[in-house]
Amino acid sequence: MTSKPKLVFMYLFLSIVSLISIFPLAWMVIAATNKSIDVIAGKLTFGTNLVENYKNLIGQQPLWGNFWNSCKYTILVTVFALIISSLAGYGFEIYRGKAKERLYSVVLMSMMIPFVALMVPLFRMYSKLGLLNTVLGFMLPSLATPLLIMMFRTNAKAFPVDIIEAARIDGTTEFGIFFKIYIPSMKAIFAAAGVITFMNAWNNYLWAKVIMSDNTTQTMPMLISNLTSGYKTDYGMLMLAVFITTIPTAVVFFALQKYFVEGITGSVK
Amino acid sequence: MMKKKMISLVLAGVMATVLLSGCGGASGTSSKGNDDTAAGGSNTLTVWAWDSQFNLYAMEEAAKIYQKDHPDFQLNAIEITWDDLQTKIGTIVGSGDYSQLPDICLMQDYAYQKYVTIYSDLFQDITDSGIDFSQFPEGKLAASVVDGKNYGVPFDNGTDVAIYRTDILEEAGYTLDDLTDIDWNRFIEIGEDVYAKTGYSLLSVQTGSSDMIYQMMQSAGKSTWNEDGSPNIAGNEYLKQCLEIYKQMADKRILEVVNSWDEYVATFTSGKTAGVLNGCWIMVQLESAEELSGKWGITNVPSLPGVDGATNYTNQGGSTWAITTNCSNVELAADFLGSTFAGSTELYDTILPGAGAIATWLPAKNSDVYNQPVEYYGGQAVYSMIADYASKVPSVDLGIFYTEANAALATVVGNILGGADIASELETAQSTVEFNMR
Repeated sequence: MTSKPKLVFMYLFLSIVSLISIFPLAWMVIAATNKSIDVIAGKLTFGTNLVENYKNLIGQQPLWGNFWNSCKYTILVTVFALIISSLAGYGFEIYRGKAKERLYSVVLMSMMIPFVALMVPLFRMYSKLGLLNTVLGFMLPSLATPLLIMMFRTNAKAFPVDIIEAARIDGTTEFGIFFKIYIPSMKAIFAAAGVITFMNAWNNYLWAKVIMSDNTTQTMPMLISNLTSGYKTDYGMLMLAVFITTIPTAVVFFALQKYFVEGITGSVK
Repeated sequence: MMKKKMISLVLAGVMATVLLSGCGGASGTSSKGNDDTAAGGSNTLTVWAWDSQFNLYAMEEAAKIYQKDHPDFQLNAIEITWDDLQTKIGTIVGSGDYSQLPDICLMQDYAYQKYVTIYSDLFQDITDSGIDFSQFPEGKLAASVVDGKNYGVPFDNGTDVAIYRTDILEEAGYTLDDLTDIDWNRFIEIGEDVYAKTGYSLLSVQTGSSDMIYQMMQSAGKSTWNEDGSPNIAGNEYLKQCLEIYKQMADKRILEVVNSWDEYVATFTSGKTAGVLNGCWIMVQLESAEELSGKWGITNVPSLPGVDGATNYTNQGGSTWAITTNCSNVELAADFLGSTFAGSTELYDTILPGAGAIATWLPAKNSDVYNQPVEYYGGQAVYSMIADYASKVPSVDLGIFYTEANAALATVVGNILGGADIASELETAQSTVEFNMR
């Protein structure tokens, strides 16, 4: 039983931390309704400029086209990355092979190479393959990431081998075992990996900028960056764009929040 | 049951997305479109630039004017930030696939020398393209001329203006004329007096930025580089003088030092300081404070006292249109730039009221639009004034390693405000720049 003063202190501390965490988000929403000059002056109350900011935003940038691009790329990357990386993680754990551990070390080691170092060779390769300015070119580098493979392998460790053997005896194919037995019992890790991939893909900026050379193919982070590049930055409009960009990741995170913690800690039900 | 429905929904969604996007096939055409421009010598020019409300707007207006005589001409304007433009050029150079470059791109003046010198096969020499470069001020051309050859058409004007709140000056017993054609010593005298009488600093500056020092140096035609390209920082008496003036102003509260760019802008848009001194592009920011309309006045900047060649004119920033070596129709690109940005008063008459874009092309200042009084600045014909200032800015070699020197001097500026010795700080900066140049 926690004593009363301790409890009061705990609540006070947590309230302060929550306020600090929430403040930037609240400020973003408030700023989206204000004029740029009020945002600069640090106004902290709601304004009446929301509609004007929205009109300016759609007048200056292809907002919804870029939003659709972001949704399209992100959904594709998330779905394919989950399928590919979960298969890889499952394979690394369940199957036996001589070079398996060595290969796994190589996969993990590749986590240490920063993307900036890979950018030029990747660009060269994709240019030769004719993948520049294509959705496929945008997606490919994100489909099999060491982090996801590691997450799926770690979680597959907890999956009972007996079930797999029983299924094999019953005549289920290897893909059948994976899709019908393994995936349904691993919802939590799929949710966690899904959230991480979704956020990474949604926020992907550097590669998108390098490979996409057209206003019609640009994504939301690129749009936001364009809004800050001028002599005059309209902060009200910028904050509205940031707010719109935040919505999908927030929705995905809150929808899968329940599974997220479970998945990260690695439990099987 | 619910689960199955959810799964089918997700799968249906994915399939629909794949189909709609063509999984790369459909959008592949845009890449092809870009290649067509580069390889086919068509009538389309692809342009990379930042700022849709300023640079790209100007480019689109130029295209409209050019299309009147060339109905087949098409512009493919792509918005890309300056940082990203540099990343892309770096990646393209690294990969060796120049076919991904646009036909024309906008380059920041301070960095262009470096690009032309280091990547000599990236930009077209357009000296003999028929463009009359003599109609641009020498100080502006310096950014795009390497070894006597022209590598670009100057565009964005970075000429400095000193803008003061005339109401505050009046309160302290001064007029705009008292701050015109003066040197920094006189400026400090007036600044002290204004601060004592009204409590307003005359200027503000962002901490950790050496831009103001560069502006002071250029006003006297002084460079941070020797003719052989080596840094001239340690023991540079002009640099020392500029830093002393800067320190003196900060100590006397004539210069308010703030932490970020946003704070800097807020100092004058929310009426906390009595003046601004920067490239004329700052006016777009300034004018966002509508309630201060009519209270501002423009004049030239203070000069370096006791220095040979000192003037009241300088520059900060600006940019230049460059034609890349990937452009297969250089003739078209040069003709387009030559007959618009280097030959059309109509263009400059359009983009001045449209975006506040002030010409560096000298004939533009004679038009009616440039000579109209501007209410925001108390009825002064500010645009023709700025165009006139631009023609008087001394030409200065910003150097190939401008970014490195600028960063080193920014550290010096920060340290001397903390009380460090100027001479020894300049020596440290010199060795830092020399190290970074290796």
